[in-house]
Amino acid sequence: MKPGDKLPPLEKTFTAVDLFAYGAATWDWHRMHYDAELARSKGFAGPVIDGQMYGAVFARAALEWAGRRGFIAKLSFRMKSMAFAGDTLVATGQVSELKGKTAILAQQLTKDGKVVAEATTEVRLPD
Amino acid sequence: MTLLTEELKAFIGREAHYPAREELGRASIRYFALAMGDPNPLYVDDDYARKAGYPSVIAPPTLICETSQYAHQAPNADGYIGHEWHLPVPASRLIRAGNEYEFMRPVLPGDRISVTWTLEDIAERSSSRGGTQLFVTSAARYRDAEGKIVAINRETVVYQPLA
Repeated sequence: MKPGDKLPPLEKTFTAVDLFAYGAATWDWHRMHYDAELARSKGFAGPVIDGQMYGAVFARAALEWAGRRGFIAKLSFRMKSMAFAGDTLVATGQVSELKGKTAILAQQLTKDGKVVAEATTEVRLPD
Repeated sequence: MTLLTEELKAFIGREAHYPAREELGRASIRYFALAMGDPNPLYVDDDYARKAGYPSVIAPPTLICETSQYAHQAPNADGYIGHEWHLPVPASRLIRAGNEYEFMRPVLPGDRISVTWTLEDIAERSSSRGGTQLFVTSAARYRDAEGKIVAINRETVVYQPLA
């Protein structure tokens, strides 16, 4: 394991069902994530993927790389462009730094090559 | 016209506390894992989790910062039931700029998590669409039954005034 190592890419299509299920599972019933008419009235292309879903995707991709017993100490993500129900995003990432048993990752979520969100993630590696 | 009025600035430093109403619960954990399509057995299989050194299944790391399970109020007109500051801003659309999560330990199904939100900062910045927009940064601190912080979620949202 060394800086520059790449994480296995994780591809996910965010279907309308996924957006609804995630909203329900997180007690977030905001119409923006399932009401296409409301989303369009606010100038969006369709129901908006909740940016917090990206946090869960970044965490999953980081742990699938680090090992399931890894522990995420910090995860900071920034939104770069919007994505909507039906979009397919790919999570990629690489190791930017290793500090003992802690890896700092730079992660990206892209749609057709365009960055939707990026993250800096600090993972404590399992023994 | 400035968006960052004195009335609005007075909100900086405000706090809102939401006590735990129940344990996080196994159902919440499995529901989240299924909704995300995350196959990690640590979230659903007690035997697997115990062999990995945990007392039981654990919550997916970001669940605690993403759920509004702490809420106990009727949904607003948009359907939202989570924490809101009800800021005095002109009609706007609200988008997320980013989140910084910090985790101290894995959260377990039996944890009773209370949440304290603090409004840390409001800044007005120019928008690429013309005019200005408001960046509002809040921090949620999640505490267990003993009062120890298990996670912090620092969240920045943007209020974009409607034309």
